[in-house]
Amino acid sequence: MKRDARRLVVLFLLPACVVYAVLFVYPVISSLLLSLYDWDGFTQQRHFVGLGNFTRLLGDDPIFWTALKHNAYLLSVPTAIILAGALFFAAALTSGIRGARFFRITYFFPNVMSMVAITLLWSFIYNPSFGLLNAVIRPFQHGKSATVWLDPNHIMPSLVAPIVWCALGFYLVLFLAGMENIPSSFYDAAKVDGANAWQQFRSITMPLMWDVITVAVVFLVIGGLRIFDLIYVMALGYPNEQSQVISTYLYEQAFTNAHMGYGIAIAVVLFVLVFAATAIAMRLMRREQVEY
Amino acid sequence: MAASTRARPVGRLFGLGALYVVLATYAAAVVLPMVWLFYTSLKNNEEIFASAWRLPHVPHWENFVSAWVRAGIGRYFLNSVLVTTISVALILLVSAMAAYALTRFRFRGNRVIFYAFLAGLMVPSQLALVPLFFLVNGMGLLDTYAGLILVYIAFSLPFTVFVLSGFFRTLPHELAEAALIDGCTQIQAFWRVMLPLAKPGLVTAAIFNFLGIWNEYLFALVMISSERLRTLPLGLANLLMVTHYENDWGALFAGLVMVMIPTLAVYCLLQGQITKGITVGALKG
Repeated sequence: MKRDARRLVVLFLLPACVVYAVLFVYPVISSLLLSLYDWDGFTQQRHFVGLGNFTRLLGDDPIFWTALKHNAYLLSVPTAIILAGALFFAAALTSGIRGARFFRITYFFPNVMSMVAITLLWSFIYNPSFGLLNAVIRPFQHGKSATVWLDPNHIMPSLVAPIVWCALGFYLVLFLAGMENIPSSFYDAAKVDGANAWQQFRSITMPLMWDVITVAVVFLVIGGLRIFDLIYVMALGYPNEQSQVISTYLYEQAFTNAHMGYGIAIAVVLFVLVFAATAIAMRLMRREQVEY
Repeated sequence: MAASTRARPVGRLFGLGALYVVLATYAAAVVLPMVWLFYTSLKNNEEIFASAWRLPHVPHWENFVSAWVRAGIGRYFLNSVLVTTISVALILLVSAMAAYALTRFRFRGNRVIFYAFLAGLMVPSQLALVPLFFLVNGMGLLDTYAGLILVYIAFSLPFTVFVLSGFFRTLPHELAEAALIDGCTQIQAFWRVMLPLAKPGLVTAAIFNFLGIWNEYLFALVMISSERLRTLPLGLANLLMVTHYENDWGALFAGLVMVMIPTLAVYCLLQGQITKGITVGALKG
């Protein structure tokens, strides 16, 4: 390599590598090490506790397991609804109906809003005194008292709607792109063979879309594990046991209770879960590649 | 192509009329909350609590003044513009340089560096959160935009380097070579020839980074503590918490409307680019 080329490589890589090494790689590695300490963050005293944080977390912390259960709920229920909905809408919008562009553009819009804005909007919708939802369903309730959607009994299902509302359009666009790549001659041939609409969807659309669906499942599962803004803001900064998730519990332990080592241990568990969930999803969804 | 896709079967399975009802219902579920939000932002507290459906007697525009000035949405908005613009510009510059060096030249460690960036895509930002707080504090940059922007750059690098590498890899090397023969330096060849050719990639990366940083909450929550430095998501979340005590709901509705209008405007302008970007990013990546 010529001298000026070598100089360019060094010059061009240096800013990215320095920022990345100092502000990404270093904190990540610190986390892995600091999770082995008991540390309040403000004094210099750190007590090495080995895997103590993890044994306490996994063996002796009911709140962590509750939080994990909530994450499991929020990554499975919305994922199922979003996949089914987005696949259905994508199939509908590629069937050549009028207004497909309008529906696509409308459905996608919530995806560009910030999660904080979406949370505000939905906290208005769910509000028991002036909320839109109770106003919509009042005629069907026959005088029953208004539902408090964010109370302990309803909050988990209530959190599903904003997640679906925000994400569905994204996966619709993703699936639309995948479906538009399928040559329509495949469907023509199937029709000649007498396959009905459902058979065509199952035998042509699904197998050819499998890779795209796998990507979607991985994104949704990771999103469900990392969820923070919606829960934290909906709970006005203080999620309780009814809505606590891993990320909010991590934040609470580290920054509210000053249990830094413990908070970091929660972050490490979150990382392992993200990694494992991705691997499992890829593995479960693995099928023979269909070339076309 | 459009004509031949017409033969797809879903319409016939459900009946075209039923299909439109389903499509319109979901469209209403998206649009209705926003319409409701817009007209409720013009009601006073009394009207808000009286009925969710009824339109305001007279539009209470003072809600918007109150949100913009007293609740600080105006300041938070400008803060977000500042942080997001600087962050995205720097991310694009730093990432484009790195991606160009990694794809255009062969040298020892090339692969290792590329995969080190790529591996970052698998790491949830929460994993770095706590040490990052102390690191930025140690640098004296806690509660400053410099600190927040540096963090945003670091955490945008994996995605942006990945996307831009994909674009630079498709550009023919001969173009840069020709520029060198014409007397350009290596840097000029990058700046004048190769970077403009990577524009589609830069646009895609800019849009996604812009949306991500404009909407970012967790890092800002941890890094920024001063009221006057709050970004829009921080300010908005805070406004919600405050309203539960102060009870000025009209202003909160108005604040949310003001946050949504620019988003809606940008979306109308760029929705084609955004949806194309998703397709390129997810299907090719």
